[in-house]
Amino acid sequence: MRALTTMAYRQIKRFTRARSRVVGMIVNPLIWLVFFGLGWSKVFDNPMARAIFGGVDYLTFLAPGIFAMTIFNQSFIGGVSVIWDKQFGFLKEVLVAPASRKEGILGRILGDSLVTLTQGTIILLLTFLLAENLKISGILPALGVGFLLAVAFSGFGVSLALKMESMEGFQMVMMVLMLPLIFLSGAMYPIDTMPSWMRALAYINPLTYAVDGARHFLVGENVTKFALTTDVGVLALLALFLVGVAMIEFEKATIG
Amino acid sequence: MYAIEVENLVKKYGDFEAVKGISFKVKRGEIFAFLGPNGAGKTTTVHVLTTLLKLTSGKAIVAGHDVVKEPMEVRKRIGIVFQDPSLDRELTAYENMYIHGRIYGLGGNELKNKIEELLKFVELWEFRNKPVKYFSGGMQRRLEIARALLHEPEVLFLDEPTIGLDPQTRAHIWEYIKSMKEEHNMTIFLTTHYMDEAEQLADRIAIMDHGKIIAEGTAEELKKLVGNDVIYLKLEAPEDLKCLKAEFIRGCKLLSDGRVRLEVVNAAEALPKIFDLAKERNVKIVEVTYHRPTLNDVFLYLTGREIRDEEETNTLASMIRMRMRR
Ligand SMILES: Nc1ncnc2c1ncn2[C@@H]1O[C@H](COP(=O)(O)OP(=O)(O)OP(=O)(O)O)[C@@H](O)[C@H]1O
Ligand SMILES: [Mg+2]
Repeated sequence: MRALTTMAYRQIKRFTRARSRVVGMIVNPLIWLVFFGLGWSKVFDNPMARAIFGGVDYLTFLAPGIFAMTIFNQSFIGGVSVIWDKQFGFLKEVLVAPASRKEGILGRILGDSLVTLTQGTIILLLTFLLAENLKISGILPALGVGFLLAVAFSGFGVSLALKMESMEGFQMVMMVLMLPLIFLSGAMYPIDTMPSWMRALAYINPLTYAVDGARHFLVGENVTKFALTTDVGVLALLALFLVGVAMIEFEKATIG
Repeated sequence: MYAIEVENLVKKYGDFEAVKGISFKVKRGEIFAFLGPNGAGKTTTVHVLTTLLKLTSGKAIVAGHDVVKEPMEVRKRIGIVFQDPSLDRELTAYENMYIHGRIYGLGGNELKNKIEELLKFVELWEFRNKPVKYFSGGMQRRLEIARALLHEPEVLFLDEPTIGLDPQTRAHIWEYIKSMKEEHNMTIFLTTHYMDEAEQLADRIAIMDHGKIIAEGTAEELKKLVGNDVIYLKLEAPEDLKCLKAEFIRGCKLLSDGRVRLEVVNAAEALPKIFDLAKERNVKIVEVTYHRPTLNDVFLYLTGREIRDEEETNTLASMIRMRMRR
């Protein structure tokens, strides 16, 4: 447990030290929410559109998506930040320690996930100021869904970072993956309105289940696509798998 | 007994053999130095001994445990200061120490007291709450040394502990290293390419070059390999370059930089004779330097190269220099 709590502590400490960066991280989802969400909300403010979006206003429909997007984005970046530890040398300090590496990296992933959730919470609270029909009681369980998503993608980021030599390659991955994953998650329009080939991609997109899961709690059953157990089940399995891979990869890690 | 025992250690990176079958032993409580130029394989050896790299063949026992079979047991008993920085730059000095202590299983008041003691030892206590990224190179190095001592290792590895630091800071860090040995009777394995560092600190020195140990012993023993005073001559016309022969010249070597290196029993007496000899043969000497043998001469004697070019400029100041123009 020592390695786990210590590494989690480190990630949280680093986060509190870099508060200015936190603001920067929140700006991006806010831009989506305000300029994209608020912009379209008037366009969709008619009965026909409401029917497509499950009977709620557009911002309410969009809010769980922006929440999931924030979590996904930040946890992935958090996991990949292992590459900075490589470059600044802290990784060697961890690898030479007589502590369980599996525990250490799990602690890191959990710490990062808590940090990410804090950011997600801030975004969520801000969306409550804009959207009309969000349920306050849904915040806590939605954070649970966010946690699973965070753990999954920070695990994925760690495994990826261990294979990479520099941050440059990663920028490419981000550019290529980020927007399609978000557009194909049902965050901005319902999956059922997509052409069938897009829908197929949406089904294999993990983000889809996080958006849908968060909607269960924040908006309600009539807007969701899958059963809650499906959403949570898929995310939990994915998180277990990706964290498992990260732990095995980290156990094998040596210095370049 | 021995703190480190290495037998026929080989480490390959792909096809490239960085360490070519070295063997050595380090006694408990001893400061042992690897002295060698860039690329000699010092860091590679340290990383194998600290379980960070897998050896290709051979055997290495550190603090009584095999680095391959029982890496965890070895890790518990060693501390290391890496050649390259390894601190968390975003965190403060205190937090870096605290996290290290926790990972190594310390906690509570014991850890707090230990951190205070060590940060005071390396004179960083007043800067404990400053993020490491604002520290100078010397402060970071001192913090890394303090951190490596936190869990009271049996064997401490210092990979080029004073690289890139100014002379005062280096002297300062040497003091810490000496007092660590004296107060805690710790075994210290040090790598360096500074001859003065090896000479100042080490009980025994292994000279390493191209992945091999080419000589081993105390500084005095190593210097005896050369034995005599050393004279360097620079000639006006390099095509005249050939060894001078005379009964008082014990050894002669042509260096790759176009100088002649002579060994004599007593340089002060030999120099006038050398000038006469040169005049006789119509060879013009442009520059003469001479000094008592140093570890650099040992390295030159063994390999025909200097340990490091810039090293020479450092030692020049301490050499007696004469310029002759005729
Ligand atoms: N990861 C690696 N892959 C391939 N070759 C490597 C690797 N690390 C080191 N080498 C090579 O192995 C040799 C020994 O390197 P090493 O870092 O051990 O030398 P060193 O004595 O510590 O030198 P320095 O004084 O520069 O630190 C060098 O030729 C180096 O280029
Ligand atoms: Mg080195």
